[in-house]
Amino acid sequence: MTATTPHRTTPVGTGTAVTGTGNLLRFMLRRDRFRLPAWTLGLPLLMTYFAAALDTIAQTPEDLAGLTAFTSSPAGALFGGPGFGFDDLTIERFLAGQYGLYVLLGAGLMGLLTVVRHTRTEERTGRAELVRANVVGRHAQLTAALTLTTVMAVLVALLIGAMMTSRGFDAGGSMLFGASVGAVALAFAGIAAVTVQLSEYPRAASGTAGTALGAAFVLRGLGDMAAVQGSGPSWLSWLSPIGWSQQTAAYVHDRWWPLAIALAFAATTAATGYVLSARRDFGAGLVPPRPGPPRAASWLAGPLTFAFRLHRASLIGWSAALLVAGVAYGSFTQPLLDGFENAPADLVEVMGGGSGDLLAGYLGMMGLTMALVVGVFAVLAVQSLRAEETEGRTEPVLATSVSRAAWIGGHLAVVALGVPWLLLVAGAGMGVGAAASTGDAGLLGDLLVGHLAHTPAVWLVLGAATLLYAAAPRMLPVIWVVLGYGLIAGYFAPILELPENVLRLSPFEHVGEYPLEDVSVVAVVLLTVLAGALAQAAVSAFRRRDLAGGA
Amino acid sequence: MTAAIDIHHLDKSFGRVKALDGLDLRVDAGTVHGFLGPNGAGKSTTIRILLGLLRADGGRARLLGGDPWGDAVALHRRLAYVPGDVELWPNLTGGEAIDLFARLRGGTDPVRRDELCQRFDLDPSKKGRTYSKGNRQKVALIAALASDVELLLLDEPTAGLDPLMEAVFQECIREVKDAGRTVLLSSHILAQVEVLADQISIIRQGKIVETGSLTELRHLTRTSVEAVTDRPADGLANLAGVHGLRTADGQVRFEVDGDQLAVVVRELGDLGVQGLTVRPPTLEQLLLRHYGDRLVGNGAGEVA
Repeated sequence: MTATTPHRTTPVGTGTAVTGTGNLLRFMLRRDRFRLPAWTLGLPLLMTYFAAALDTIAQTPEDLAGLTAFTSSPAGALFGGPGFGFDDLTIERFLAGQYGLYVLLGAGLMGLLTVVRHTRTEERTGRAELVRANVVGRHAQLTAALTLTTVMAVLVALLIGAMMTSRGFDAGGSMLFGASVGAVALAFAGIAAVTVQLSEYPRAASGTAGTALGAAFVLRGLGDMAAVQGSGPSWLSWLSPIGWSQQTAAYVHDRWWPLAIALAFAATTAATGYVLSARRDFGAGLVPPRPGPPRAASWLAGPLTFAFRLHRASLIGWSAALLVAGVAYGSFTQPLLDGFENAPADLVEVMGGGSGDLLAGYLGMMGLTMALVVGVFAVLAVQSLRAEETEGRTEPVLATSVSRAAWIGGHLAVVALGVPWLLLVAGAGMGVGAAASTGDAGLLGDLLVGHLAHTPAVWLVLGAATLLYAAAPRMLPVIWVVLGYGLIAGYFAPILELPENVLRLSPFEHVGEYPLEDVSVVAVVLLTVLAGALAQAAVSAFRRRDLAGGA
Repeated sequence: MTAAIDIHHLDKSFGRVKALDGLDLRVDAGTVHGFLGPNGAGKSTTIRILLGLLRADGGRARLLGGDPWGDAVALHRRLAYVPGDVELWPNLTGGEAIDLFARLRGGTDPVRRDELCQRFDLDPSKKGRTYSKGNRQKVALIAALASDVELLLLDEPTAGLDPLMEAVFQECIREVKDAGRTVLLSSHILAQVEVLADQISIIRQGKIVETGSLTELRHLTRTSVEAVTDRPADGLANLAGVHGLRTADGQVRFEVDGDQLAVVVRELGDLGVQGLTVRPPTLEQLLLRHYGDRLVGNGAGEVA
């Protein structure tokens, strides 16, 4: 019918393992059009915030000198850094040496999350399969993800450098500090390039890389503490990617060479990622998924035990984290007391020592802190209920002979029991740490009472969150306001000079921060009754509404 | 015969969307009832109301003689449900999920559970997040089929199954029926319903538009006829009930209304018929007749 030669496009060139990287990178930039600016502007803005905050705290050279005592203590080193040049403190040295740590942590998170998002998450959801079926090389996805992270790291480095320079700090030191932030992002992008090869699941990949970030924080913390005390294994800091960036000593020694270690580390880990990725199948991990029990344990038989089974992993994780945090904060009781002897009055007040008893103030404030953290656990647990419902896992359970009241009641009971358990764990950790640090065994009892006393306040938050979920699920995030207000009222009330009745809007302001204040039995009873009423209302509201989910 | 499900004039709206609009449905005990309709017609909404997961705005629904909303827990002991989209807990194995459903419902026969795992070729030691859609479906099916209940509510239960597993599923449903249990089988897979169902109800835009046995429904639609005759058969076009007659290469094709078939066959005999093919309507054609207007109007405009 036709005389024309069939038109056919022949493949041009041979194509390499990285063919298509450019297209993928453009596609990633399009997908991250909000996320990329959020990270690359967010980190410099965080630094700007620290700078502005420090300006208001330390307005005179005397204020600044007062801070030295705290920052040069082991506690200051753990939560700050090795403290280069702190004997002759300037604003920029304090910013880079103390607050800089948190920007470094943020940069590490940025690096690892970006790589996981654009590699393993894509593979897991199956989108990468569609992409790879096109003219895209084996290594194009990883290459594009690493390139994207590098672009973000460079942007963050330049913006932080420019911001610090614009505040009148030394330009060389500012650029070095910016570069040290970018280097952490690259190092953890490299680590993530390895972890995404190991497991099939993005959460496992980011979890493993996140654990490495935590380990890097702890290693350099121990090393820096040793360095400040002048004895002990200060070389530990040199095992940590965060440590390398801190060892640049911006505004003091201005050393660039530690960043070479960071870059070499990033290149090596990324190369390892490439090698490992060639040894696994698409979509698979190097570590095969483990099978589980083919039968349910005999105790797993009712709504209550089932709720416990679903919350078990989270409870174990929270218990471990709170125990470690408790011991860590507890063991700084004595160094902190030493460090605060010369601190400015404002800072002492913020740290809870307003009434003059610094020890009781610190321990009481830690109890409140742990209560707020356990409040986060409770709210996240209620949010997981909402996910159960909207993702369609509640429906088949309610189609069995489990009543709605039993379903929501079972979860509520497990979380409500988890609250005093976690407070007990945190209090025990704090108590053991504080007792060992100060040599006063009696602190253990004080801390257990002080932590457990907050149970009714957390229950109230739990009850309110459950009622929101049961009656108006979309409004559930509103509960974060209560926790946020609890934080502000608890920490900054002395500075903000909030009136008493405004302060008392927070559920955490009634029980009392034992051992600084007495535990109010009336408040404990009232909060418990109120929480119980909210829970009751939640159960009956949940029995009335339609179940969400599905098509 | 007693009714396992008896629904009168059920209404349900989501905001301004009317999901059910005066739905009537009766499922006799001991039968397999096909619940047929396109996506978004209201099948899942009906089943969710029967499960007490949603509350009807109006009308009356009875399930196994009880009130689906008020007596939910007691009724759920006597039924099992398989949703169309089965979601499992990521860190529970398939076996744990099966046992859990069974225990929450009130117990199952462990021998039957293992036998079903084998028949459906399911590895119960894998974690929920590692299962494919078809395997998640199998978990829910095994949990439902292994339980000793009067009624199975199956909402598009084989959407992710391969043909081999589909055959196993059909075998299982026949066993369930032989055991005297009732099945409500919602589907848009017509062949499946055709093979299994005693009775069929067709739902469209929240209303039942047809209900009856397959034989009864066939009377309502047109039979396809192909014939080769000695003499020209163009005259058939003038008979009542004959539609779309066309002739090519000496062969005549047309559709005829079910109740006019006898007249047309007699007429074909008079024309000296040499070859004759008569095809009963498939369920596709039944549906096409009800949704035909829409399919012609906007072929792919189906709401998921």
